[in-house]
Amino acid sequence: MTLWGYRVSRQLRSSIIVLAPILIVLVLLVFFPPDGNERSKGAQFIGRFHPLVVHFPIALFLLVPVLELAGLDSRLSHLRLSAGFVLGLATVGAIVAAILGWCLARSGGYSGPILTQHMWGGISLTAVCWLCWMLRGSADQPGGRLLYATALATGVVLVGWTGYRGGQLSEGEDHLTEYMPVGLRHSLGLSDAGPAIASSGANTFYGARVEPIFATRCFTCHGPHRHKANLRLDSYSSLMRGGKRGLVVRAGNAQGSELFRRITLPPDHDDFMPKAGRRPLSAGQVKLIELWIASGASGTLPTDAIKEATAGLTSPTLASEVTFEEIDAAAVIRRQAQIAPELARLQKRFPNILEYESRSSADLHLNASILGSKFGDSDLAALSSLAEHITVADFSRTTITDRSVTAIAAMKRLRVLRLMHTGIPTPPWKGYAFWINSSR
Amino acid sequence: MALLQAQTRRHFLRSLGGGLGTLFVGTSVAKYAGAANGTGRSEVSTLDFTRDASSPLAALPPQFAAKVRRVIYLHMAGAPSQLELFEHKPDLKRLDGQDCPASFLAGKRFAFISGVPKLLGSQYPFHQVGQSGQWISDRLPHLERHVDDLCFIKSMRTEQFNHAPAQLLVHTGNARLGYASLGSWVLYGLGTENQNLPGFIVLLSGGKSPDGGKQLWSSGFLPSVYQGVQCRSHGEPVLYLDNPAGVSRPLRRRMLDAIDQINQQTYAAFGNPETVTRIAQYEMAFRMQMDATDAMDIRNEPESVRAMYGSKPGESSFANNCLVARRLAERGVRFIQLYHWGWDSHGADAKEALNLGFTDRCREVDQPTSALLADLKQRGLLEDTLLVWGGEFGRTPMRENRNGQEMKYVGRDHNPGAFTIWMAGGGVKPGMTHGQTDEMGYEIVKDPVEIRDLHATMLYLLGFDHHKLNYSFEGLEQKLTSVKPARVVAEVLA
Repeated sequence: MTLWGYRVSRQLRSSIIVLAPILIVLVLLVFFPPDGNERSKGAQFIGRFHPLVVHFPIALFLLVPVLELAGLDSRLSHLRLSAGFVLGLATVGAIVAAILGWCLARSGGYSGPILTQHMWGGISLTAVCWLCWMLRGSADQPGGRLLYATALATGVVLVGWTGYRGGQLSEGEDHLTEYMPVGLRHSLGLSDAGPAIASSGANTFYGARVEPIFATRCFTCHGPHRHKANLRLDSYSSLMRGGKRGLVVRAGNAQGSELFRRITLPPDHDDFMPKAGRRPLSAGQVKLIELWIASGASGTLPTDAIKEATAGLTSPTLASEVTFEEIDAAAVIRRQAQIAPELARLQKRFPNILEYESRSSADLHLNASILGSKFGDSDLAALSSLAEHITVADFSRTTITDRSVTAIAAMKRLRVLRLMHTGIPTPPWKGYAFWINSSR
Repeated sequence: MALLQAQTRRHFLRSLGGGLGTLFVGTSVAKYAGAANGTGRSEVSTLDFTRDASSPLAALPPQFAAKVRRVIYLHMAGAPSQLELFEHKPDLKRLDGQDCPASFLAGKRFAFISGVPKLLGSQYPFHQVGQSGQWISDRLPHLERHVDDLCFIKSMRTEQFNHAPAQLLVHTGNARLGYASLGSWVLYGLGTENQNLPGFIVLLSGGKSPDGGKQLWSSGFLPSVYQGVQCRSHGEPVLYLDNPAGVSRPLRRRMLDAIDQINQQTYAAFGNPETVTRIAQYEMAFRMQMDATDAMDIRNEPESVRAMYGSKPGESSFANNCLVARRLAERGVRFIQLYHWGWDSHGADAKEALNLGFTDRCREVDQPTSALLADLKQRGLLEDTLLVWGGEFGRTPMRENRNGQEMKYVGRDHNPGAFTIWMAGGGVKPGMTHGQTDEMGYEIVKDPVEIRDLHATMLYLLGFDHHKLNYSFEGLEQKLTSVKPARVVAEVLA
């Protein structure tokens, strides 16, 4: 087989054919980068297959070093025969995934540093994949094996890094560390605090009252990581710069401001924000934004400058919307599983009064009060095996006496303790008051 | 042949019916399944409330850590006038006797007012009390001492202006028949701690039953084991609870075992959950024979406590019921529903007049309600009990003029546009007022609260997201707050 007069192997030729689409993707990325503007729904539909498709090249690529290493053993040397084919498949898969990824990012309104890193990671990985394939064909030349092995290793590292960035895009920036055990967090030098919220300083009205609303309600789509409609609300300057359709805030004119218009439309209107059935801003939040824009939308106005905002709309009112966290059923079951058998045993003895505090907790709630005189010191002693899990305990009107004081003291995580009308008079408790207080 | 002999005419007919039923279920289930797919509601995750068939009232943990464990709901049937109790409107008093402005009447529908009625100022003087400075009339001298424990919502609103549908709306979240009551939902969601007593107990205070009838504590589409059990204030709490003469407790036990066996066979044959309900009810009645009579018997209370409530054993009175309510709360009953009556102050006769009968109604509830608050507090029960006081709607700032004529007694018509309720207990901000009406107390000017918002708030305090406490019925994930968006009134939460 010849190419431009040179004899080339069949594999090299198909490798060169595959290079063409990689270059096309590269051109797309450079000249039509994802810029935070939402585009065609059709492209978004196709793009949504990116997370699905991307797993095939990942698995195939990671299979290659496994095949190569296993093939070093002479009994398994036949495995190496298929490595080239698998690598070829991985390269084709990577190209498809890269194109889909570009469709998703370009048309789905993504942009930001994480996306950029994921994107370049992905295209590099595709290139490395192709390079490995090329190098494998010439692995019999001097130094070829080492080059090939290095390229493979680079690829494996790139898979991990790009995958992590992709995970951050879809699952949130802290998706790996969010539920990390506290001990591990500390050894990695991570803090316990939740995600940091950008703040322009608490001594301006904008920083103290307005930006916190954006931070909790808008940053998901218009924040540091996603810039839908090319609009970012995570700093005063980017807010005032506006989005792809121009200014969103017109100082002094709330009714004429696109941002205000969108948060005050009927919730089922196409332009309403926050979108997609998310909870509308509360009346207090809307009012605050209106007052702030009407007063000139300043970034330096002092916190207490707008009189109406401090009188009627106190901060507690703003924070008072009730939210319901999603329960991660699997995680709860895991935590409850440790005490479930023992709890089941004790629930037979104390039916309906010893229960999990809630469906999202492995803490226990004990209401012995309804048993009245039928509950005494020996019953309390029977609970010792789960004492540390009891956080709320009501012993009112039971016949427990000060003999139970140590048993109650063993309930180290107790938050609420009720002892009204029991055999425990108040004075002996003075000695134990310290732990009741400290555990509250 | 033996099988043929066992097959009676009734069995034959029943099996025919069963066949038809199966056909119906076959078609309708397919229909519902299709509907469910079509609406794309499959992402709604539901909580699991299934329990062992033999213990349908078993306690279940709430969805989230709850603020309160139980509810005592004091319903003032007939709709007490907020303008004679909690709504201080000096401007209305000033304009007393003048013609009502036309803007008040345009587009409005009244139960009885016709023509141009006169404005009517409060019949009783108001004064400020407590640290919170709440305005209150002189009709509630006991309650005013507890005003700093109460959280008033003065901007309640309803969609119904007649008693029965408005009461249904308050109790079931829907003005039509067939929906599950608040207490039934709570019992369904949480079960009850004391299996020797019903988990949802209803006590009437003599006089007139509420217009909404037994539907107010009905379980609706929920299994009937979750319906409210109406107890009597004296004698046997439930009629025929005690064993009749000549029947001993062991004999009763053997009888129930036999009935139980037959019911188990029926359940095995037909699988109807109502059969299980019946078995559970028999068993509960048996356990109640020991505990219920004791729980309801206020003669067991010391004289001093009875005096505090103003209760007299043997009467059907709100005072007795308040005392019983505390005894039930103590014993772990989940939902205690009390009714008082006669608040429909139209002024059509002396009993219904603001200047006469209304004063008696106030006296009947004032001392017992205050005693209940104090008693729950001193026993540490108020911390995890939610107390709610209120009627089904409000009353107009206009004097009622039935048939366009001035009436002999003073009264007010129904006003669904604004009324006042109060809450007290765990998780509720004490000594505060939420919402505001205009100077006449006619319409809400700030923070309106719908009935469904109140329900969502109560469920929140009990540890539930009102969207998640649901029951699949007629192809819909039914919920207390129904289909319109409801909001937890976060402002009143402590």
